[in-house]
Amino acid sequence: MSGALDVGISGLRAAQIGLTVTGHNITNASTPGYHRQEIVQTANTPVNTGAGFLGTGVNVDSVKRVYDEFLDLRVQTAQTQSSYLETFSAQISQLNNMVADPNAGLSPALQQFFQGVHDVAANPASVPSRQSMISSADAMVTRFQALNQRFVEIREGLNAQVTASVDMINSYARQVAELNNRVVIAQASGSGQPNDLLDMRDNLISELNKEINVTVVRQSDGAYNVSMGMGQALVVGSQPYILTAQPSLDDPSRIDVGYQAGGGQVFYLQRESLNSGNLGGLLAFRAESLDTAQNSLGRVAIGLAQTFNDQHRLGQDLNDAIGDVFFNVMGPSGASGPNAVPSAKIIPNVNNNDLTPGASPTVTLSDVSKVTTSDYNLSYSDGSSSPAGYSLIRLSDKASLFTPPVVVAPGAQIGVVDGLTITAPTTAPANGYSWQIQPTRYGARDIGVAIHDTAKVAAAAPIISQIDNSSHGGTGNIGTGTISAGVVNPPPPTNAALQNKVTIAFIDATHFSVTDNTTSTVLAASVVYSPTTGATVSYNGWTTQLNGAPETGDSFTIGPNAKGVADNRNALLLAGLQTENKLAGGTASFQSAYSQIVSSIGVKTRDINVTAQAQASLVKQSQMAQQSLSGVNLDEEAANLLRYQQAYEAAGKMMQIASSMFDTLLALGQ
Amino acid sequence: MRISTSTIFDLGVASIQQQTTTLVKIQQQLATGRRILTPEDDPVGAARVLEVSQSKALNQQYDVNTGSATSSLGMEETALESVGNLIQDVRTIAINAGNPTLDHNNLASLATDLRGRYQELLGIANSTDGNGQHLFAGYKGSTQPFSESSPGTVAYNGDQGQRLMQISPSRQIAVSDAGSDVFMQIKNGNGTFVTAAPVDPVTKISTNTGTGLINTGNVIDPVKWAAVADKNLTLVFNVDNLVIPSVTTYDVTDTSGDSVFTGAPSAVPYPHTYTSGSTIDLTSAPPDYGIQFAVEGAPANGDTFTIKASTNENIFTTLHNLITALETESGTGLANKLNTALTNLDNSLDRALTVRASVGSRMKEIESVKSTGEDLALQYEQTISNLQDLDYAKAISDLNRQQVGLEAAQKSFMKIQGLSLFNFI
Repeated sequence: MSGALDVGISGLRAAQIGLTVTGHNITNASTPGYHRQEIVQTANTPVNTGAGFLGTGVNVDSVKRVYDEFLDLRVQTAQTQSSYLETFSAQISQLNNMVADPNAGLSPALQQFFQGVHDVAANPASVPSRQSMISSADAMVTRFQALNQRFVEIREGLNAQVTASVDMINSYARQVAELNNRVVIAQASGSGQPNDLLDMRDNLISELNKEINVTVVRQSDGAYNVSMGMGQALVVGSQPYILTAQPSLDDPSRIDVGYQAGGGQVFYLQRESLNSGNLGGLLAFRAESLDTAQNSLGRVAIGLAQTFNDQHRLGQDLNDAIGDVFFNVMGPSGASGPNAVPSAKIIPNVNNNDLTPGASPTVTLSDVSKVTTSDYNLSYSDGSSSPAGYSLIRLSDKASLFTPPVVVAPGAQIGVVDGLTITAPTTAPANGYSWQIQPTRYGARDIGVAIHDTAKVAAAAPIISQIDNSSHGGTGNIGTGTISAGVVNPPPPTNAALQNKVTIAFIDATHFSVTDNTTSTVLAASVVYSPTTGATVSYNGWTTQLNGAPETGDSFTIGPNAKGVADNRNALLLAGLQTENKLAGGTASFQSAYSQIVSSIGVKTRDINVTAQAQASLVKQSQMAQQSLSGVNLDEEAANLLRYQQAYEAAGKMMQIASSMFDTLLALGQ
Repeated sequence: MRISTSTIFDLGVASIQQQTTTLVKIQQQLATGRRILTPEDDPVGAARVLEVSQSKALNQQYDVNTGSATSSLGMEETALESVGNLIQDVRTIAINAGNPTLDHNNLASLATDLRGRYQELLGIANSTDGNGQHLFAGYKGSTQPFSESSPGTVAYNGDQGQRLMQISPSRQIAVSDAGSDVFMQIKNGNGTFVTAAPVDPVTKISTNTGTGLINTGNVIDPVKWAAVADKNLTLVFNVDNLVIPSVTTYDVTDTSGDSVFTGAPSAVPYPHTYTSGSTIDLTSAPPDYGIQFAVEGAPANGDTFTIKASTNENIFTTLHNLITALETESGTGLANKLNTALTNLDNSLDRALTVRASVGSRMKEIESVKSTGEDLALQYEQTISNLQDLDYAKAISDLNRQQVGLEAAQKSFMKIQGLSLFNFI
C-alpha cells in the first residue's frame, strides 16, 4: 500500500516536473538561442518481493536540453559568412547609390567643362566664353570634391563601425567569460546541466560569430575556450582578452584592429586573419572597394589636371605670355597649388619616430598615363636583417617592385616605376623605416582651378609660320609652296628659343636652309626637299609642314604670334583631350576611366548581393535543420501539456484509490 | 520531420519580405522610368550609358560648332560678295572712262566716285564680326588689318592665320581667310608677266607720245619663261620718217641693252617691222621665252613698253592707280593705264570670287556634316534609351504578378499561423 502510494507520488512528481518543463518550453518558444528541454524519466529500481520484482515508480533523472553540437555549429559557420556578406553589401550599397544617378556623378560636370573649352575654341577672344570655361572648370572641381567628400564620410563611418564592432566583441567575450565561471560552478555542484546558462552562453557565441569567426574548444569542466583568427585566444576559462581599435601604424587615418596579449602589448592583426563576420566585412570593403574607388577617382582628377596643364603650358594667353598651369594639384609639401608635377602623399610609419620633412622620400607622378590605382609601401633596410637598400611593394597585388633592393645615397633617385619617380629622403633613414605612398588617394580632394583671370586662358599658340611676303625683293614667293600653321612640341616647359624668328629659305626647288634670325645662327645649311612629299621641319621646340612646290628664293618665316587673339590652335588641342586615351597606359579617356569606376562598383555590388542571397538561403536551411531538432513546436507542447495533465490526474486517482484501500483496511478492525 | 513554431513564423515573414522587396524595386523602376536604378542592376549597361552620353554631348557640341562656323563663314561671304560687287562697279566705271568723248571734268567726277568706292573697300576689308573681332586680320583679331599710311599705300597689319573649328570628331574646317590672301597677294598682269607703258618716276605720268596700246600678253610655255634669267624686258620702237610711208620697227631688249632676238646690243634699224595689232612673238628661238604680246595703234619714235615678271599688287594700289590715272592722264596714256587697271581689277575680282567659292564649298560641307550629326544624335538617343529605359509593358505585368505573389504569401501566412492546438484546449 505504501508502495502504491509511493508509486503514485512519484508519478505525481514526474508529471509536475513534466508540466513545469513544458510550461518553460512554451514560455521560451521565442527566446533566441533556446533549445527545448525534455525530462528524462526512468523507472525506479524494482524491489524483490516474494511475488517477484516490483517496480517502484518513476524517477526524473534530468532535464535534458535537446541539443546537437554539429547542427548548431553548422548554423554558426553559415551565419558568420552571411554577416560578412551582408555587411559588405550594406557598405558597398553606399558606393552603389553614390554613382547611381548619371546626372549626379562626374560625367555631366566633365562634359560641361569641355563644352566650355569648345566655346573658347569657337570664340577665342571673347571674354564671356573664357569666363564660362573657367566657371565650368570650377563646377567640375566642386563635383570632384563633393564625390571625394562622400568617400571621406563613408571612411569615417567605417572607422566608427569598426570601433563599435570591436567593442561588441569585447563585450561578448566578457560575458562568455563570466558565464563560463557560472557554468563551471553550476556543473561542479553535480546536479545536472544548467541548461539555461548553457543556452545563454551558446547564444552569446552565436552573436560573437556574427561579428567575427570564432572557434570553441569545450573544456572538461564545462568552460568554453574561445579563439579567433589565427588562433588568438579571446576567452580562456573566465579570463577574457581584449581587442583594440586604434589608428594604423601605416596610416593614422585608418582604424585597424589590435590584440592585447598578456602584458599590455598590442599586436596589430593582419586583415587576412579577420576575413569573416561583420568585422571582416568592414575591413574587406575598405581595402578592396573603398580604397580602390577613391584612388580611381583621384587618378581621373590628377590625370585630367596634369594632361590639361601640360597642353595649356604650350599655349599663349591674351597677354602674349606663354600659358601657366591651369589646374592646381598637390605638390611635394603636401599643399595644393599650381604645381607643375603632382606629388604623391607620403605617410611615414608611426614607428619611424621621425616626422621632419627631409626624413621622408619624395614621390612625384611623372607619367600620369602609367599610374595605377594601388598604394605602395617603401621600406629601408641597412642590411642587418635583410638585404640592404630600399624595397617597394605594390599593395594591390603584393608585387615586390625593387628586387634586389636599391641602394642610393640620400636625396638621390631610387627609381621610376608605374609612372612614379621615387627619390630617397635627404636624411639617411634608420633600419626598418617604412613609408606608405598614396599616389592618387587625395587627387579629387586637391584638384583646384589656378587661373581666374580670363586673359590667362591660353587658347592661342605662341608661334605662327607664314609665307614670307617680302621675299624676292618685296614681291613675295613665286612658287606654290605652303607652310602649316605650326605646332609646339610637347612636353612643357616650352623651348627657350621657341619664339625666335626663324627663316626657311629655298636655295633651289629641292633644297632649303634654316636660319635663326634672332641669334643669327644657321640651324641647317641645306636640307633636301621633295615637292611630291613635302617635309616636316622641327627646330627650337616647334614643328611645321612644308608642302607644294616652292621656287628658288621663296622663303617662309616662323616667329612669335604677337597679338594673335583670334588664334584658337591651343584651344582646339585642349578640347581634343576629352576623347584622347590619356590614362591607364593609354587605354582609357577620362570619361571611360570614370565609367570603369561605376561599372566595377556595380559588378562588385551585384557579386556580393548574389552571394549574400545564396548564403542567406544556406543560413535559413541550416537554421531550419537546427530548429527542427531543438525548436519548440507549440502544438507539440500543447499535446505534452495534455499528456502530463492526464498523467497527473491518473497518478492522483491512483493515490486516491490507494488511500481508499487503506481506509478499507482500517475499517476491518472495527 | 519536426518543424518548430518559430520556423513557421520566420519562413512566412521571410518570403513576404522577399516579395515586398521585389515589388518595391519594380515600383521604383516604374516611377523613374529607368531600368537601371543603380549600377548593380546592369554594370556594363550603366558604364555604357555614361560613354554614350559623352558621345551624345560631344555631338551636340559639334552641332553648336557648326552653327558658329556657319555664321562666321556667312559673315565672310557677305563681305566677299560686297567686295565682288564693288570691283564689278569699279570695272564698269573704268570701262566708261575709256570713252574718248569724256573730257577732263567728266573724268574727274568719275575719279571722285572711285575715291568713295576706295574708302568703301577699305571699310569692308576692315569689317568686324558682332564681337569686335576683325574678319580679315588672320589671328590678330583685335588689330585693324588694313591701315593707310599715305594715300594709296595700304599696309596689312594682320597675319596669315586661318582659324579652324572642330565640326566633327575628325574634321577641322577653316572659318576665316586671312586678309593677305583676299586683298594683298594678288598677282598683277596676266599672273606671270606684266606689260606697261613707262611713266615719269616722279610725276607718274606716261611718257610715251604715240598712240600705241599694249595688251596683257599671254604665256605660251610657262616652263620656258620660268627659266629666263633676265625677266626685265623693254619693247622699243623706231619710226623712220625718211621713207614714205613711214616704217616703224621694234626691238625687245633686256636689262643690259642687248636685243633678245640677236643677242647683240640693240641698234637701229630694229630687226622687226611693226604692224598695228600683230603679235610680237617671243616663242621661237631666238629667243625661246614662251611668251607673246601685241601692240596696236601708232607708237611714236622712241616710245617704249616694259615687260616684267608679275609681282604681288594689292587691290588698294590698283584702285589708287586707277584714280590717279583718271585725274592726271588723258589720251593714250590714260588708255594704257585703263588697260592695266582693268587687268588687275579682273585679277582682284578673280581672287575675291575664288575665296568666296571656297567659303561657299566650306559652308556646303558644314551643312552635310551637320545633317550627319543630326542623324548621329538620333542614334545616340536610341542607344541610350535601349540601355536605360524601362519596358513599361513588361514592368507593369511584373508588378501585377508580384502583387499577386505578395497577396498570396500574406494570406497563406495568416491562415497557417491561425492554426494552433491551443485554440481547441
